[in-house]
Amino acid sequence: MGGYGRGELSPRSDLDLLLLHDGSAGADVIAALADRVWYPVWDLGLTLDHSVRTPGEARKTAADDLKVQLGLLDARHIAGDLGLTAALRTTVLADWRNQAPKRLPELRELCDERAARQGELSHLLEPDLKEARGGLRDTTALRAVAASWLADAPREGLADARRALLDVRDALHLTTGRATDRLALQEQDQVAAELGLLDADALLRQVYEAARTVSYASDVTWREVGRVLRARRARPRLRGLLGGGGRGGAVERSPLAEGVVEQDGEVVLARAARPERDPVLPLRAAAAAAQAGLPLSLHAVRRMAAAVRPLPTPWPAEAREQLVTLLGAGPPTVFVWEALEAEGLITQLLPDWERVRCRPQRNAVHTWTVDRHLVETAVRAAALTRRVGRPDLLLVAALLHDIGKGWPGDHSVAGEVIARDVAGRIGFDRTDVGVIACLVRHHLLLVETATRRDLDDPATVRSVAEAVGSVGTLELLHALTEADALATGPAAWSSWRGALVADLVKRVGGVLAGGSASDELYGTGVAAGGAEQERLAVEALRTGGPVVALRAEGDDGVSGGGASGDGVSGGGASGGGASSAEVLGVELLVAVPEQGGVLPAVAGVLAVHRLTVRTAELRVVELPEGVAGAVLMLQWRVAAEYGSLPEASRLRADLVRALDGSLDIAARLAERDAAYPRRRGAVAPPARVAVASVGSRRATVIEVRAQDAPGLLHRIGRALEAAGVWVRSAHVSTWGANAVDAFYVTGVDGGPLAGERAAEVARAVEVALRR
Amino acid sequence: MKLITAVVKPHRLDEIKEALQAFGVQGLTVTEASGYGRQRGHTEVYRGAEYTVDLVPKIRIEVLVEDDDAEQLVDVIVKAARTGKIGDGKVWSVPVDTAVRVRTGERGPDAL
Repeated sequence: MGGYGRGELSPRSDLDLLLLHDGSAGADVIAALADRVWYPVWDLGLTLDHSVRTPGEARKTAADDLKVQLGLLDARHIAGDLGLTAALRTTVLADWRNQAPKRLPELRELCDERAARQGELSHLLEPDLKEARGGLRDTTALRAVAASWLADAPREGLADARRALLDVRDALHLTTGRATDRLALQEQDQVAAELGLLDADALLRQVYEAARTVSYASDVTWREVGRVLRARRARPRLRGLLGGGGRGGAVERSPLAEGVVEQDGEVVLARAARPERDPVLPLRAAAAAAQAGLPLSLHAVRRMAAAVRPLPTPWPAEAREQLVTLLGAGPPTVFVWEALEAEGLITQLLPDWERVRCRPQRNAVHTWTVDRHLVETAVRAAALTRRVGRPDLLLVAALLHDIGKGWPGDHSVAGEVIARDVAGRIGFDRTDVGVIACLVRHHLLLVETATRRDLDDPATVRSVAEAVGSVGTLELLHALTEADALATGPAAWSSWRGALVADLVKRVGGVLAGGSASDELYGTGVAAGGAEQERLAVEALRTGGPVVALRAEGDDGVSGGGASGDGVSGGGASGGGASSAEVLGVELLVAVPEQGGVLPAVAGVLAVHRLTVRTAELRVVELPEGVAGAVLMLQWRVAAEYGSLPEASRLRADLVRALDGSLDIAARLAERDAAYPRRRGAVAPPARVAVASVGSRRATVIEVRAQDAPGLLHRIGRALEAAGVWVRSAHVSTWGANAVDAFYVTGVDGGPLAGERAAEVARAVEVALRR
Repeated sequence: MKLITAVVKPHRLDEIKEALQAFGVQGLTVTEASGYGRQRGHTEVYRGAEYTVDLVPKIRIEVLVEDDDAEQLVDVIVKAARTGKIGDGKVWSVPVDTAVRVRTGERGPDAL
């Protein structure tokens, strides 16, 4: 039975033998026979796992113990009455098929529990070849699933992968002389030599490739099993009538993003999706899947891999945003990333990935291979996005920080060059590319300086400040340092290290804080409105109601000169439009005579129309002399969740109703939420609302960092209204799925809020967002 | 034999290691530690809020040496660890009854 039955013993494996008898002979006769078989085996020094049973007993034990059942599935006749063995095999297989709906979920639980305990073979530096996920035990489980006739694994490469793992285990047993399955660091060189491989790195790469094939096959197979079982439970009668197990009938599909829908717990392509014409589709589908916490279907990934064309250079804004959204989804990012990786989509998007793919690191501190470490760092960084002003730069730097590994020399230096190139291709503007390159170059700087240099020495602090350059970059580097260490292994981060790094960051921050942090991050100088805005403002005053204008890409040049060229990033003159990177969405201009409730009303109307706000500027415009009254000017960049944009006139009509109170936005949004099934999704870090330490003299700056969601800005606006403050201007940015907003608010007296009151307002908004 | 223990500023580790190696010490143990001494930590102002940092990050170095070397080694460590500022740390030594090298079973000074 077991491995012996399958004919895949390694030199030190134990023999799993069953002495089968029909019960007609006396117990003493059987015992004497068993002794004559077992003793020579023991005398040979082999480990023996033995049992003596009748077919009935064997069947009963199998029914009670899943592991025995699995062993019996591989039973092979060795000697004696062939008929007896054949009969047992037939019954055992029939039982297995009959009971599959009950026993396969048990088997899956066993596999999951083992995976949780042993980790993943394809990414661990000292993996267990048998027990880890993607190891030999999983190949056996796949055989058992196939034997149930319920589902089958994708076959490509599976047999080769299994043989490769068996070969490594044979070599491991030979070199250690023990029945161990753990490929420890100290054994790897010898095992590699035994197999005739160049070195331990070549050995591990071979193991990882095999393990990836096996885990991928397991994922797909278990999902298929789940689907078949669910379908059976749902329609047992119907199935009986139709006489088949096909997945006929209407399957519920719900949209996730343009061209991407959820079906049966998986993310698939919409019928209208055209991968050959939509190069962003793989990233959009992956981002939607990761954010929803769902797997990408194998067919969808294959179809995209076969049809999709390479992205242009630099990437369009949507591709960049989707990559950031994918990276920011937290733990679900890992399996979605691996699904893309398995079909070659990642290396197609990021050719530099090939060099770190499956790359082992001979370092006792590290747990993972380089590629997995990079993805894990992004996952850890996603939890720290509320701490930084530019979550997108943090996430991309996390993904690229070790991209220089595998090149000669210092990997930070090599990495800087590659990261600069990749970030440019991804479509970041020059300043952002510089920040990402700096983060990659210095990703070890904080931890090395904090633990090995004298922090009391001003020169130490100064040198770090010079390398980092700005408070915003320091904040990013601090978060990256922590994410990197957490994703390295248990020995790389401790409260001890954390305290030293935090101390250094505080000191460097003090040196860098010469400039205004808040100005740097959000840009306060909103440019003069320009002719178009002035026209809208006058129109708004004349009509006494809102005026709406939508501007598509291409007809640039309205929002006052000086657009592009100087490469300043982050919410510049036209809400990010001044940078050289392409931005997402269309521009929306709204002019409204100054009154209460404008921010929540406009934000609410946009949410009701399924428009997501990418950036938003709100300010009070001064009109030319001779015109009385003040106008709020909103200059927003919006994108449709799916489909096309609504007409400006419809937006205006709803906005009028929202402002006079006849449109209940909260109810409409609640209705819309209720219409969609709740998804597990990625668990985003909670919203953080704080009073900016460096504010303006005329207003208090409330910073909001939260997961972007439909209606978020509406809720923030309502919370600020409810807190009784006026929003004088707002700077809203969206980076992937993260919103980073600053609201300049005043009290009813028109002045900044007192410290206590400001903190109260921030708390009130935070409570409203966490609800 | 004596066990010398030093609790010092983390960034002095490299200097201390070099100094001990130059003296001929074969091995040492380093632990990440936190604590405070006479200055009782210190007070910090961070983002407007004042808070007390009462445990300061330190490293703890332990070296097992022969009796005759102990005095001199304490001086070597003190010299390498000194920055002249508050929080430089402490070094002390205590007598040790026995020591065994696990692999070979050697005892006493042979095990060092």
